[in-house]
Amino acid sequence: MVKAFRWWWGILLAFSLVGLSRLFLPLPFINEVIIFSIYTIGCSFLLGRVGFISFGQPAYLAAGAYGTAFYLFYFGTNPFVGLLLGVLSGLVVSGIVGPLFVRLRSDYFALVNLALAVIIYYLMQKVLADFTRGDNGLWFLTNMASTPLLDISRPDQFFIFALLVALGVWAFYKYLDDSIFGACCLATKINEDKLEFLGYSNYSVRLLAFIIANTTTALAGAMYAVYLGFVSPEITSPSRAADPVIVTILGGTGTLYGPLVGAIAYTGMKDVISKLIGNWELFIGFLLVFIMLAGDKGIWGSLQPRLEKLFSRRNAPGAPDDVGATRR
Amino acid sequence: MPVTSAAPAHNGDMLTVRGLNVSYGESRVLFDIDLSVGARQIVACVGRNGAGKSTLLKSIAGFLKPLSGSVTCDHASLVGQASYDIAKMGVKYVPQDKKVFSDLTVRENLELGSYASQDYNWDRITGYFPKLKELMDRKAGFLSGGERQMLMIGRALLGNPKVLLIDEPTEGLAPSIVAHLKTVFGELSRNAALVIVEQNLPLVCAISSKVYALKEGRIAAVLAGRESIRADVCERYL
Amino acid sequence: MMDAQLLISGVIFGLSIGSIFFLMAIGLSLCFGLMRIISLDQLLYYSIGAYLTYTLSLVTGSVWLGILGGLVVAGIVAFAVERLIFRRIYDRDLTFSMITSFGILIGGIGVIKFFWGVVPRPVPIPMMTQLDIAGTEVPVYRLIVVAIAALVYAGIWLFLNRTIIGKAIRAGIENVEHVEGLGINVSRLFTITFIIAGSLSGLAGGLHAPLIMVDPSMGLEVLAFVFMVVIIGGLGSIKGTLISAFMVGQVVSLGSLIYAPLAQMAPFAIMLLILLVKPTGLYGSALLKR
Repeated sequence: MVKAFRWWWGILLAFSLVGLSRLFLPLPFINEVIIFSIYTIGCSFLLGRVGFISFGQPAYLAAGAYGTAFYLFYFGTNPFVGLLLGVLSGLVVSGIVGPLFVRLRSDYFALVNLALAVIIYYLMQKVLADFTRGDNGLWFLTNMASTPLLDISRPDQFFIFALLVALGVWAFYKYLDDSIFGACCLATKINEDKLEFLGYSNYSVRLLAFIIANTTTALAGAMYAVYLGFVSPEITSPSRAADPVIVTILGGTGTLYGPLVGAIAYTGMKDVISKLIGNWELFIGFLLVFIMLAGDKGIWGSLQPRLEKLFSRRNAPGAPDDVGATRR
Repeated sequence: MPVTSAAPAHNGDMLTVRGLNVSYGESRVLFDIDLSVGARQIVACVGRNGAGKSTLLKSIAGFLKPLSGSVTCDHASLVGQASYDIAKMGVKYVPQDKKVFSDLTVRENLELGSYASQDYNWDRITGYFPKLKELMDRKAGFLSGGERQMLMIGRALLGNPKVLLIDEPTEGLAPSIVAHLKTVFGELSRNAALVIVEQNLPLVCAISSKVYALKEGRIAAVLAGRESIRADVCERYL
Repeated sequence: MMDAQLLISGVIFGLSIGSIFFLMAIGLSLCFGLMRIISLDQLLYYSIGAYLTYTLSLVTGSVWLGILGGLVVAGIVAFAVERLIFRRIYDRDLTFSMITSFGILIGGIGVIKFFWGVVPRPVPIPMMTQLDIAGTEVPVYRLIVVAIAALVYAGIWLFLNRTIIGKAIRAGIENVEHVEGLGINVSRLFTITFIIAGSLSGLAGGLHAPLIMVDPSMGLEVLAFVFMVVIIGGLGSIKGTLISAFMVGQVVSLGSLIYAPLAQMAPFAIMLLILLVKPTGLYGSALLKR
């Protein structure tokens, strides 16, 4: 019982704080932050654990968003089913391109994903415009039926739902971190020869990680669709391609809460800076370079070791830690 | 650290290493290495795989930054200098990998060496390695292992280096070429100090006047003097 | 069957756009080959070249002077960035340089926005003359762009194969440590290469400016295409870059005559096909692990 609590307490604390912030922060901001952080955690996992950077996360975001949108616009009204289909679309897309992409060297991988995002952008904007209504986008807010128990077609109820989903996602990634699979992911990044000698296949590990990460991204896309009631090609526009990467670096690559901290910082800063000086690119560009040169740990990445030191002084010396690699 | 003969005086030495400690990331590879080479001396460094021999040469040549210790060549300190500056100071490293610039011709490989050292006297080089004369216009990628080794050493000789650090030169080479190299090393030592890392114990024992036996990153023994430099004696310390 | 006139102008268009891609791709390829960095900030020097062309052509009345100025300023900025930032990160892995150079690109776009604002600017074409080729009116300017790119290719070839610095760079692409071991100052080699890359990107931007509108995000718009050229050709190979730039240019141009949206996507399909067979591109160096 105590062990379970020790495992959960970080996640519960983080999301309780997010939940509480509802009291003094605007709802749209928080919903955006939650979905954005789910969007980012896939990217962070890929970069921090497997060592792959992807400049094409919008591709999978769009897969999820449009998967949901097509269903809710053309076929049905149940948002939950829409969400499910969005996630499945992401699973399918990453399952198709994964086997090819994952074989590539890290720089080719990044750019090939970018190219995929660009392609999907053009696909949705022009080629399939008959189905997607092009730049006008698909509107289905009114199509969505109210759902029993938690009506996610309403923003305030959606917020609770999003919080629960995020809790689940974080629990899943924490579990991954602690599992053998998580260790394998780290190993492919650090020493792929050794992993092969141990009997694992680098390719399989990477492929699975790729699919997991991008399906998570698709989940975020599906959530965006349901939340906004609207999807347009803008969601995968090339200028947004680097958002998850920036947020990942900002928060701290490979840490569990990095994406959350990064999403809050990024969304918050964007609002504030845009109002103040209007030149958001200038700020974020220099910030990114500064973070990289200063040690590329990010906000949470720099805070986390200090917090751990603080808390470990309270614990009795020699207390057994959780088994396995626990990265918070 | 057993010394089986009187160690030579340090003052007249061309290259002196004192208390060198080197690590690769988190793991320590070399512990407190002391080494000295006279101006016209051939010194060998022997040891099993992973003992740290290449690491030692690379650290002297400036490709690895040591944790602590000093390296001096002819009264000039080498630690902390860029590898290309060290090469310019007369300490040349001939790596183990037998790689030359494959896309360039033999001539162009030598031209690069000449450009760096401003030494365009190739007669000396072709004197030691006459075969290179015939191969001048061949792309270096098409050379055999032995020819490549000759080119690497020839290239390093440009600029009249004071110290040559040669890493496993005879590995994988035919006996006739090994014999040729043996003669060349002897001639080279008339003008330079040589530090040769080798697995071929009989060879180094024949030409070296001092042998350092490296074991797990430490100097296990220093052999000096004709009687003590024998393959079986070396073996004992490895 | 396509109209012969349309075909000819399509080919010329493809050659000119391929030339622009080529000029940028050389820089990226060389930077990777020698320094093992991904220099996404080359897209910034492209934008700088374009914007300087715009401003200088307004001030002096000559677009060619503007293009020359763009080339020079882009080279200077590249030099500054190399000395200040890249010099510190050469020993880090590829993803590090990717992220950092991307930050430089984004920050640079912000600087451009600061000085020039967000409104797209037009740049006049230096010569409006048309040439009659087999019954088709072909803009001379586009032919000049292709000619310049051909000259640059010849120049780079001569540089890499006939000058000692060029040979040192080729040697460094194979093995930097060995070049260092000979006593050659590779730090200076890196700087020279980076300046060449930045200047060529600036030239590309300047030449491209009269053909499109100059706007702050122009670098991001061509990013995907330039990289597809580089990936298809293989990072580190000049010959590969030339071939793939030519190919992508033709595909985009002739493809858009057949069916416009598909033309944007066709290079992607080609890239995937090539990567299936050769994961490092047509002539790419397989030297580096992840």
